[in-house]
Amino acid sequence: MMTRRHIAALGVALWFGILALTPLLADNYTIRIAITIAMYSAMALSWNFIGGFAGYPSFSTAAFFGIGCYVGAIAQRSGVPLVVAWALATVFVTVFAVALGAIILRLKGHYFAIGSIAIVEVVRLVVSSWGGLTGGGDGLNVPLLSGGPDRVATTVLYVMLAIMLAAFVVTILVDRARLGFGLRCISQNEDAADMVGIDTTRYKIAAYALSALFCGTVGAVYASWVGYIDPTDSFSILLSVKVPVMVLLGGAGTVLGPIIGAGAFVMLEEFFWANFLEWNRAILGGIIVFLIFFLPSGILKLDYRRLFRRKSPVDRTEAA
Amino acid sequence: MFGKPRKSAVLTAAAIALASAATLSAASAPAWAQDVLRIGAPLALTGGLADEGKKQESVWQLWLDKINAAGGIKVGGKTMKVEIIKYDYQTDGKRAGQLAEKLITDDKVDVLMAPFGSGHTKIIAAVTERYQVPLLACVASSESVYDQSFKYLFGTLAPNSGMTDAMAALYKQKLPTLKKIAIYGRDDVFPKSMATSMATSAKAAGIEVAYNELYAVGTMDHSAAISAIKAAGADWIYMTGYTQDLILGRKQLNDLGVKAPIITMVTGPAYKEFTDGLGDLADGVTSSTWWHHATAYTGAAGVWPSTEAFYKDFTTAFKSDPDYVHASCAAAADVLVNAVQKAGSTDKAKVRDALEATDMLTFYGPIKFGPNHMNLGRDMPIIQVQGKDIKVLYPASIANAEMKLIK
Amino acid sequence: MDILQILVNGLVLGALYACIAVGFSLVWGVLNIINMLHGSFIILGGYLTFFAWFYLGLNPILALPVVALVLYALGYVLQYIFINKVVTSPVLTTLTLTFGLDMILYNLMTVYFTATPRRVTMDMGSADILGVIMPMDRVMGMALAFLLTGLLYVVMRASTIGRAIVAVRMDRQAAALMGIRVNRIYAITFGIGALMAGAAGAVFAIVFPVTTNLTGVFLGKAFVICVIGGLGSVPGALVGGLALGIIESFAGFVLGPQHAMTLGFVLMLVLLVVRPTGLIGVKGYE
Repeated sequence: MMTRRHIAALGVALWFGILALTPLLADNYTIRIAITIAMYSAMALSWNFIGGFAGYPSFSTAAFFGIGCYVGAIAQRSGVPLVVAWALATVFVTVFAVALGAIILRLKGHYFAIGSIAIVEVVRLVVSSWGGLTGGGDGLNVPLLSGGPDRVATTVLYVMLAIMLAAFVVTILVDRARLGFGLRCISQNEDAADMVGIDTTRYKIAAYALSALFCGTVGAVYASWVGYIDPTDSFSILLSVKVPVMVLLGGAGTVLGPIIGAGAFVMLEEFFWANFLEWNRAILGGIIVFLIFFLPSGILKLDYRRLFRRKSPVDRTEAA
Repeated sequence: MFGKPRKSAVLTAAAIALASAATLSAASAPAWAQDVLRIGAPLALTGGLADEGKKQESVWQLWLDKINAAGGIKVGGKTMKVEIIKYDYQTDGKRAGQLAEKLITDDKVDVLMAPFGSGHTKIIAAVTERYQVPLLACVASSESVYDQSFKYLFGTLAPNSGMTDAMAALYKQKLPTLKKIAIYGRDDVFPKSMATSMATSAKAAGIEVAYNELYAVGTMDHSAAISAIKAAGADWIYMTGYTQDLILGRKQLNDLGVKAPIITMVTGPAYKEFTDGLGDLADGVTSSTWWHHATAYTGAAGVWPSTEAFYKDFTTAFKSDPDYVHASCAAAADVLVNAVQKAGSTDKAKVRDALEATDMLTFYGPIKFGPNHMNLGRDMPIIQVQGKDIKVLYPASIANAEMKLIK
Repeated sequence: MDILQILVNGLVLGALYACIAVGFSLVWGVLNIINMLHGSFIILGGYLTFFAWFYLGLNPILALPVVALVLYALGYVLQYIFINKVVTSPVLTTLTLTFGLDMILYNLMTVYFTATPRRVTMDMGSADILGVIMPMDRVMGMALAFLLTGLLYVVMRASTIGRAIVAVRMDRQAAALMGIRVNRIYAITFGIGALMAGAAGAVFAIVFPVTTNLTGVFLGKAFVICVIGGLGSVPGALVGGLALGIIESFAGFVLGPQHAMTLGFVLMLVLLVVRPTGLIGVKGYE
């Protein structure tokens, strides 16, 4: 008999399979949606380490993503091979996050939230005024990936999926390891966690670094994919808020929540964008408000028994 | 934590997976009628460039109504309908690229029109180049957009550098005592390139660059820079930026008592919002622009036979004067139709070749693409706000006023 | 003379900054909410003032109280209906909620008012004192900043509502037990925050071009000022605003305008870590 855990594993495998098969089944735009889903899933999984497990309201995702974009782009422009450039971006962003984390993780609650937002702005301004290296407001051209549109789309999709998979695997490992336990303790009560012998500082820095690492890679791959980056788009506060919203939508601090949230959010967004030309932003805002009130702990924590109460058990199985 | 909620988690995961599988596979494209020219337009209808995006949207609607009123366009003996498919990319680069791809693969457009601004045009150009779909950029003037030798990208604005040389020469002639210029630009693709190009032109014309700084996007006060400009004692102040920056800049110049005989704001006076937002303070401000409705081209090909006809239709529809964004974008649409007619079909490679060979006169002016696919330079107008009006100072052929110095 | 002028530039700018931050700071201090709507409130105030001036010929100074009251009502309603439901939730929830509401308000404004920059073209001239120039409209903004903070200070100290607000801020449960209707107090506080934003917006309609593009910029300034001055403290907003204005003014002159904004944010980060209570903030609202 299959346990719940087996079903969950099967669901995730199925989801990865569907995303991976899009190049065979659908056109490039659909592949692009799949890429977007993989990209946001990876970032949502990342954010989940600091925001979900450790309960720190971090809004610095856009800083990590943007730095990843720029390090990748600059490395590639100076002749570093593609994959090495991506790796370099990942390492750089991780080191940056560790150094930064050592400083701002001393803050808590609102102070931490506002500090993490400020980071995005500071990095944007620095990148913007460091024209010699980053092209400043002009942005940077990144060498285009070779090959036709189909090949590029497929390549980017598999790279993004690989990042998403890596982030997912790390999530499972952290969830089961002492680190995950420690972070949950921190989320519950940091002082108590400290008292029972958890090295809170190191745990938090680890979570923060994990929340940055994959964003760095995603950023670098994204830069290679679009071929042009500029400071305003790379460091957008909207991204810093969107990613946490995705995790909240799925269920913060869970293993599957970020994937479900990112997938559902991207598809919702896609639907509204295509159908409501002028009102898409308000609708997105509406979704956020709805989410906060009616799905406060995310899709994963929904009480389905209540939703399906009037239905027969047979119906319930079919709904699955 | 492996309690009961887990089951529902699994259910949801599976449900979402199935639902999305359905969404993804249902997204196959419907078949499109053959005799329709489909133009894709990702627009910034919300976000930072919403204002400019709306301009493009409105002028293309005007253009389209005109085409449809005539029943369509004649291509190779048959009549084709024209459709414009628009999406809002929210002034977000990620979205811009994504929508370009959607327009190409999902909506099967034949050509794309780029949105406002050099940065986002670049992002979209990377996509269209990959798909080999022609892209017409009507509001991207920085040469850096066109320096990657993209084959499918064409721009209807002429390069920036033509503007600054002519301006330095004209002012030097009108104000022989002109010695020092202060250049103050927004750190963004177009404003920055104008500022850089002005510094070069000024030096070449023997004008000392007494102040040359950029300000960050999001700056909401210019008093520090203006105090420095005042201290530098420049007699020509040249500021670039978006309309909101320029309104504030002009106001603070006045507030802080800076007296310079020449104040140039790019591209401030080209927009009606600029003069509306400044009132009397706008008086005397000069600028360069790519087009002004005082130009009088006649016998033009395209929807409007003359500049006057366009001006009349535009003012009737919108009760305000068109600016270069409107004109360039409407003309780009004309150029596109012309290319399709020459190519005899909507075949993308043929349309591209026809675009490259474009040599036509539109109500906006002559269009002929240079080696980098930008419209070849012609004498671009230098304008000045005089009282309530915008007067043209240059080129001599369409000039309708003498330059006035600000007292 | 130059130095004096830069100092004065910084002071008047700082006073405008203080206008931005007072309401934001109050909401943060009492409700413990980072109000992402604040920038849009200011712009909405600006638009209302502009339209009153443009269509009705109403002087912005006269429009100010009306606009401020409209914003008060809007703030009250938003808090009463929406934000009160999650007011005790963690910062992630409340911040995200106000961000969502802001997206709606922002969208409404871009559709109905468009993003076209507009300004009340009523130039009030400048005063020239010994070669130091002070633009009158900014001086007015300065007066407003002092008036608003002063008024708020007095209200908080001397009125029943003010005492109730302070009581709720100190201990929500105890205040409730004393018969204070906490939800109402929250709504009033949020309303006052919006009122302050509206009043600032009315003045800004003369000083700055009004466009939805500036909502994020105003919000960013409010963050920086509150951290510099001290989170949740009303006089702190004034001090923080003035400090930021002077710093930006000198940085813009010495380092160049490109780095002025960066410096403000960096300073904020440093202060957050070194002295999270701000220059004159009080500990204990965390």
